[in-house]
Amino acid sequence: MNIIGEVLKELLSMFFADARLALATLGLVAMVGGLVAVLHLDPLLAGGLLLVGCLAILVGTASHEARDRAHR
Amino acid sequence: MDLSAWSVAAPAVGSAFLASLVEVVEAFTIVLAVGTLRGWRPAGFGAGAALAILGGLIALFGPLLGHVPLHLLQLVVGVLLLLFGMGWLRKAILRAAGVIPLHDEDAIYATQATQLTGTTRGPRRSLDWIAGLTAFKAVLLEGLEVVFIVIAVGAGRNLLWSASFGALAACAVILVIGFAVRRPLAKVPENALKFGVGTMLSAFGVFWTGEGLGVAWPGQDLALAVLVALFLTIGLATASALRRPATEVFP
Repeated sequence: MNIIGEVLKELLSMFFADARLALATLGLVAMVGGLVAVLHLDPLLAGGLLLVGCLAILVGTASHEARDRAHR
Repeated sequence: MDLSAWSVAAPAVGSAFLASLVEVVEAFTIVLAVGTLRGWRPAGFGAGAALAILGGLIALFGPLLGHVPLHLLQLVVGVLLLLFGMGWLRKAILRAAGVIPLHDEDAIYATQATQLTGTTRGPRRSLDWIAGLTAFKAVLLEGLEVVFIVIAVGAGRNLLWSASFGALAACAVILVIGFAVRRPLAKVPENALKFGVGTMLSAFGVFWTGEGLGVAWPGQDLALAVLVALFLTIGLATASALRRPATEVFP
Protein backbone atom coordinates (compact mmCIF):
# COMPACT_ATOMS: atom_id res chain seq x y z
CA MET A 1 0.00 0.00 0.00
CA ASN A 2 2.89 2.31 0.88
CA ILE A 3 4.56 1.57 -2.47
CA ILE A 4 1.34 2.22 -4.41
CA GLY A 5 1.00 5.53 -2.59
CA GLU A 6 4.59 6.44 -3.43
CA VAL A 7 4.07 5.51 -7.09
CA LEU A 8 0.97 7.72 -7.26
CA LYS A 9 2.84 10.54 -5.54
CA GLU A 10 5.73 10.15 -8.01
CA LEU A 11 3.32 10.20 -10.96
CA LEU A 12 1.66 13.36 -9.67
CA SER A 13 4.97 15.10 -8.99
CA MET A 14 6.16 14.24 -12.52
CA PHE A 15 3.60 16.66 -13.96
CA PHE A 16 2.62 18.96 -11.08
CA ALA A 17 5.86 19.43 -9.12
CA ASP A 18 5.54 23.17 -9.68
CA ALA A 19 1.87 24.10 -9.39
CA ARG A 20 2.41 27.58 -10.85
CA LEU A 21 4.06 26.20 -14.01
CA ALA A 22 1.47 23.45 -14.41
CA LEU A 23 -1.55 25.74 -13.99
CA ALA A 24 -0.12 28.39 -16.32
CA THR A 25 0.66 25.76 -18.98
CA LEU A 26 -2.79 24.17 -18.76
CA GLY A 27 -4.37 27.63 -18.89
CA LEU A 28 -2.31 28.55 -21.96
CA VAL A 29 -3.25 25.36 -23.82
CA ALA A 30 -6.93 25.87 -22.92
CA MET A 31 -6.79 29.49 -24.11
CA VAL A 32 -5.09 28.64 -27.42
CA GLY A 33 -7.46 25.69 -27.95
CA GLY A 34 -10.42 28.00 -27.25
CA LEU A 35 -9.14 30.61 -29.70
CA VAL A 36 -8.78 27.97 -32.42
CA ALA A 37 -12.15 26.33 -31.74
CA VAL A 38 -14.30 29.41 -31.09
CA LEU A 39 -12.64 32.29 -32.93
CA HIS A 40 -11.12 30.10 -35.69
CA LEU A 41 -7.68 31.59 -35.07
CA ASP A 42 -5.19 30.76 -37.83
CA PRO A 43 -3.53 27.49 -36.69
CA LEU A 44 -0.03 28.77 -37.42
CA LEU A 45 -0.69 31.86 -35.30
CA ALA A 46 -2.02 29.53 -32.60
CA GLY A 47 1.24 27.54 -32.77
CA GLY A 48 3.26 30.74 -32.43
CA LEU A 49 1.14 31.85 -29.49
CA LEU A 50 1.61 28.46 -27.82
CA LEU A 51 5.39 28.60 -28.30
CA VAL A 52 5.79 32.18 -27.05
CA GLY A 53 3.46 31.45 -24.12
CA CYS A 54 5.43 28.35 -23.08
CA LEU A 55 8.74 30.24 -23.24
CA ALA A 56 7.25 33.09 -21.19
CA ILE A 57 5.91 30.64 -18.58
CA LEU A 58 9.33 28.95 -18.36
CA VAL A 59 11.19 32.23 -17.84
CA GLY A 60 8.50 33.59 -15.51
CA THR A 61 8.30 30.58 -13.19
CA ALA A 62 12.11 30.17 -13.01
CA SER A 63 12.55 33.87 -12.22
CA HIS A 64 9.76 33.77 -9.65
CA GLU A 65 11.36 30.80 -7.87
CA ALA A 66 14.78 32.50 -7.89
CA ARG A 67 13.27 35.71 -6.47
CA ASP A 68 11.37 33.77 -3.78
CA ARG A 69 14.52 31.96 -2.67
CA ALA A 70 16.57 35.18 -2.71
CA HIS A 71 14.07 36.80 -0.33
CA ARG A 72 14.03 33.85 2.12
CA MET B 1 15.35 7.16 -43.45
CA ASP B 2 15.04 10.71 -44.91
CA LEU B 3 16.03 13.95 -43.20
CA SER B 4 12.49 14.70 -42.05
CA ALA B 5 12.07 11.27 -40.43
CA TRP B 6 15.47 11.62 -38.75
CA SER B 7 14.48 15.04 -37.37
CA VAL B 8 11.83 13.30 -35.23
CA ALA B 9 13.52 9.94 -34.65
CA ALA B 10 16.83 11.43 -33.47
CA PRO B 11 15.30 13.66 -30.74
CA ALA B 12 12.98 10.80 -29.69
CA VAL B 13 15.80 8.29 -29.32
CA GLY B 14 18.11 10.97 -27.90
CA SER B 15 15.54 12.08 -25.31
CA ALA B 16 14.89 8.50 -24.22
CA PHE B 17 18.63 7.78 -24.04
CA LEU B 18 19.62 10.92 -22.12
CA ALA B 19 16.64 10.83 -19.74
CA SER B 20 17.35 7.18 -19.03
CA LEU B 21 21.00 7.98 -18.31
CA VAL B 22 19.89 10.46 -15.62
CA GLU B 23 17.30 8.16 -14.06
CA VAL B 24 19.44 5.00 -14.24
CA VAL B 25 22.32 6.82 -12.51
CA GLU B 26 19.92 7.76 -9.67
CA ALA B 27 18.50 4.25 -9.37
CA PHE B 28 21.98 2.69 -9.67
CA THR B 29 23.23 4.70 -6.68
CA ILE B 30 20.60 3.14 -4.42
CA VAL B 31 20.90 -0.37 -5.90
CA LEU B 32 24.68 -0.10 -5.41
CA ALA B 33 24.19 0.86 -1.76
CA VAL B 34 21.83 -2.10 -1.25
CA GLY B 35 24.13 -4.52 -3.09
CA THR B 36 27.27 -3.39 -1.31
CA LEU B 37 25.79 -3.34 2.19
CA ARG B 38 23.18 -6.13 2.06
CA GLY B 39 24.35 -8.33 -0.79
CA TRP B 40 23.64 -8.47 -4.51
CA ARG B 41 20.88 -11.07 -4.27
CA PRO B 42 18.20 -8.83 -2.69
CA ALA B 43 19.44 -5.89 -4.79
CA GLY B 44 19.12 -7.94 -7.97
CA PHE B 45 15.69 -9.36 -7.04
CA GLY B 46 14.34 -5.92 -6.16
CA ALA B 47 15.70 -4.23 -9.28
CA GLY B 48 14.64 -7.15 -11.50
CA ALA B 49 11.07 -7.15 -10.18
CA ALA B 50 10.76 -3.40 -10.75
CA LEU B 51 12.16 -3.71 -14.29
CA ALA B 52 9.63 -6.47 -15.03
CA ILE B 53 6.76 -4.19 -13.90
CA LEU B 54 8.11 -1.27 -15.95
CA GLY B 55 8.47 -3.51 -19.03
CA GLY B 56 4.90 -4.71 -18.46
CA LEU B 57 3.67 -1.10 -18.35
CA ILE B 58 5.27 -0.37 -21.75
CA ALA B 59 3.92 -3.62 -23.21
CA LEU B 60 0.43 -2.80 -21.86
CA PHE B 61 0.10 0.90 -22.64
CA GLY B 62 2.23 1.06 -25.82
CA PRO B 63 -0.12 -0.90 -28.10
CA LEU B 64 -3.24 0.61 -26.43
CA LEU B 65 -2.17 4.06 -27.62
CA GLY B 66 -2.52 2.85 -31.20
CA HIS B 67 -6.31 2.80 -30.70
CA VAL B 68 -6.53 6.45 -29.61
CA PRO B 69 -7.35 8.96 -32.40
CA LEU B 70 -4.10 10.62 -33.52
CA HIS B 71 -5.06 14.26 -32.85
CA LEU B 72 -6.34 13.43 -29.35
CA LEU B 73 -3.21 11.38 -28.63
CA GLN B 74 -0.95 14.21 -29.84
CA LEU B 75 -2.83 16.75 -27.72
CA VAL B 76 -2.82 14.68 -24.51
CA VAL B 77 0.77 13.49 -24.89
CA GLY B 78 1.83 16.99 -25.95
CA VAL B 79 0.33 18.62 -22.85
CA LEU B 80 1.86 15.96 -20.57
CA LEU B 81 5.23 16.46 -22.26
CA LEU B 82 4.94 20.22 -21.76
CA LEU B 83 4.22 19.78 -18.05
CA PHE B 84 6.99 17.22 -17.59
CA GLY B 85 9.62 18.72 -19.92
CA MET B 86 9.21 22.31 -18.79
CA GLY B 87 9.32 21.09 -15.18
CA TRP B 88 12.70 19.44 -15.83
CA LEU B 89 13.98 22.43 -17.78
CA ARG B 90 12.89 24.90 -15.09
CA LYS B 91 14.68 22.87 -12.42
CA ALA B 92 17.79 22.52 -14.60
CA ILE B 93 17.83 26.31 -15.16
CA LEU B 94 17.61 26.92 -11.41
CA ARG B 95 20.39 24.40 -10.73
CA ALA B 96 22.61 25.85 -13.50
CA ALA B 97 22.06 29.32 -11.98
CA GLY B 98 22.99 28.07 -8.53
CA VAL B 99 19.55 28.87 -7.12
CA ILE B 100 18.98 25.27 -6.00
CA PRO B 101 21.75 22.74 -5.25
CA LEU B 102 22.92 20.16 -7.77
CA HIS B 103 21.99 16.50 -7.34
CA ASP B 104 24.74 14.82 -5.28
CA GLU B 105 25.04 11.07 -5.90
CA ASP B 106 27.73 10.66 -3.22
CA ALA B 107 25.47 12.27 -0.61
CA ILE B 108 22.50 10.12 -1.69
CA TYR B 109 24.67 6.99 -1.45
CA ALA B 110 25.85 8.00 2.03
CA THR B 111 22.27 8.65 3.22
CA GLN B 112 21.06 5.34 1.82
CA ALA B 113 24.02 3.50 3.36
CA THR B 114 23.30 5.06 6.76
CA GLN B 115 19.66 3.99 6.56
CA LEU B 116 20.55 0.45 5.52
CA THR B 117 23.28 -0.02 8.14
CA GLY B 118 20.94 1.44 10.77
CA THR B 119 18.49 -1.37 10.05
CA THR B 120 20.36 -4.17 11.78
CA ARG B 121 17.69 -5.62 14.03
CA GLY B 122 15.58 -8.60 13.02
CA PRO B 123 16.25 -11.89 11.26
CA ARG B 124 18.48 -12.04 8.17
CA ARG B 125 15.54 -12.86 5.87
CA SER B 126 13.67 -9.78 7.07
CA LEU B 127 16.71 -7.57 6.43
CA ASP B 128 17.07 -9.01 2.90
CA TRP B 129 13.39 -8.22 2.32
CA ILE B 130 13.89 -4.58 3.39
CA ALA B 131 16.99 -4.30 1.19
CA GLY B 132 15.20 -5.84 -1.81
CA LEU B 133 12.25 -3.51 -1.29
CA THR B 134 14.58 -0.50 -1.21
CA ALA B 135 16.12 -1.50 -4.57
CA PHE B 136 12.64 -2.27 -5.96
CA LYS B 137 11.27 1.16 -4.99
CA ALA B 138 14.30 3.01 -6.36
CA VAL B 139 14.16 1.31 -9.76
CA LEU B 140 10.35 1.52 -9.98
CA LEU B 141 10.09 5.21 -9.07
CA GLU B 142 13.02 6.36 -11.24
CA GLY B 143 11.91 4.05 -14.05
CA LEU B 144 8.39 5.51 -14.17
CA GLU B 145 9.80 8.71 -15.67
CA VAL B 146 11.70 6.68 -18.28
CA VAL B 147 8.55 4.73 -19.16
CA PHE B 148 6.59 7.96 -19.57
CA ILE B 149 9.27 9.50 -21.81
CA VAL B 150 9.59 6.35 -23.95
CA ILE B 151 5.81 6.14 -24.44
CA ALA B 152 5.35 9.90 -24.91
CA VAL B 153 8.10 10.52 -27.46
CA GLY B 154 7.47 7.20 -29.20
CA ALA B 155 3.69 7.19 -29.43
CA GLY B 156 3.08 10.15 -31.75
CA ARG B 157 5.18 8.85 -34.67
CA ASN B 158 5.24 5.10 -34.09
CA LEU B 159 8.73 5.27 -32.58
CA LEU B 160 8.07 3.17 -29.49
CA TRP B 161 10.71 0.59 -30.38
CA SER B 162 13.32 3.22 -31.26
CA ALA B 163 12.69 5.10 -28.00
CA SER B 164 12.81 1.83 -26.03
CA PHE B 165 16.12 1.03 -27.70
CA GLY B 166 17.45 4.43 -26.59
CA ALA B 167 16.39 3.75 -22.99
CA LEU B 168 17.86 0.22 -22.96
CA ALA B 169 21.13 1.49 -24.42
CA ALA B 170 21.38 3.99 -21.56
CA CYS B 171 20.74 1.21 -19.01
CA ALA B 172 23.48 -0.90 -20.59
CA VAL B 173 25.98 2.00 -20.57
CA ILE B 174 25.36 2.86 -16.91
CA LEU B 175 25.38 -0.77 -15.76
CA VAL B 176 28.67 -1.51 -17.55
CA ILE B 177 30.36 1.65 -16.21
CA GLY B 178 28.74 1.31 -12.78
CA PHE B 179 29.79 -2.26 -12.18
CA ALA B 180 33.28 -1.52 -13.50
CA VAL B 181 33.87 1.31 -11.02
CA ARG B 182 31.61 -0.04 -8.21
CA ARG B 183 30.89 3.40 -6.79
CA PRO B 184 28.26 6.13 -7.24
CA LEU B 185 28.55 7.80 -10.65
CA ALA B 186 28.92 11.28 -9.20
CA LYS B 187 30.83 12.64 -12.20
CA VAL B 188 27.96 12.21 -14.66
CA PRO B 189 27.01 15.79 -15.71
CA GLU B 190 23.47 15.22 -14.53
CA ASN B 191 22.23 18.79 -14.75
CA ALA B 192 23.57 19.26 -18.28
CA LEU B 193 21.75 16.06 -19.28
CA LYS B 194 18.55 17.24 -17.59
CA PHE B 195 18.91 20.59 -19.36
CA GLY B 196 19.18 18.82 -22.70
CA VAL B 197 16.33 16.40 -22.05
CA GLY B 198 14.08 19.16 -20.66
CA THR B 199 14.77 21.19 -23.80
CA MET B 200 13.91 18.31 -26.15
CA LEU B 201 10.78 17.25 -24.24
CA SER B 202 9.50 20.84 -24.07
CA ALA B 203 10.04 21.16 -27.83
CA PHE B 204 8.21 17.86 -28.39
CA GLY B 205 5.43 19.12 -26.11
CA VAL B 206 4.88 22.32 -28.12
CA PHE B 207 5.10 20.34 -31.38
CA TRP B 208 2.58 17.63 -30.43
CA THR B 209 0.22 20.03 -28.65
CA GLY B 210 0.26 22.30 -31.70
CA GLU B 211 -0.42 19.37 -34.03
CA GLY B 212 -3.21 18.23 -31.71
CA LEU B 213 -4.77 21.69 -32.07
CA GLY B 214 -4.47 21.52 -35.86
CA VAL B 215 -1.23 23.47 -36.37
CA ALA B 216 0.64 22.55 -39.57
CA TRP B 217 4.20 23.50 -38.55
CA PRO B 218 6.29 25.10 -41.33
CA GLY B 219 8.86 22.56 -42.49
CA GLN B 220 6.77 19.85 -40.78
CA ASP B 221 8.98 17.64 -38.59
CA LEU B 222 12.02 19.84 -39.20
CA ALA B 223 10.29 22.52 -37.10
CA LEU B 224 11.25 20.41 -34.07
CA ALA B 225 14.89 21.43 -34.51
CA VAL B 226 13.89 25.10 -34.42
CA LEU B 227 11.78 24.55 -31.29
CA VAL B 228 14.69 22.74 -29.58
CA ALA B 229 17.06 25.62 -30.48
CA LEU B 230 14.61 28.21 -29.12
CA PHE B 231 14.05 26.41 -25.79
CA LEU B 232 17.80 25.85 -25.42
CA THR B 233 18.66 29.49 -26.14
CA ILE B 234 15.98 30.89 -23.82
CA GLY B 235 16.86 28.33 -21.12
CA LEU B 236 20.58 29.18 -21.21
CA ALA B 237 19.85 32.92 -21.28
CA THR B 238 17.52 32.59 -18.27
CA ALA B 239 20.10 30.58 -16.31
CA SER B 240 22.71 33.18 -17.15
CA ALA B 241 20.43 36.07 -16.09
CA LEU B 242 19.50 34.41 -12.81
CA ARG B 243 23.16 33.78 -12.01
CA ARG B 244 23.71 37.54 -11.57
CA PRO B 245 23.24 39.15 -8.14
CA ALA B 246 19.58 39.29 -7.17
CA THR B 247 19.53 43.11 -7.06
CA GLU B 248 20.54 43.33 -10.75
CA VAL B 249 17.96 40.85 -11.95
CA PHE B 250 15.11 41.95 -9.73
CA PRO B 251 15.47 45.67 -9.00
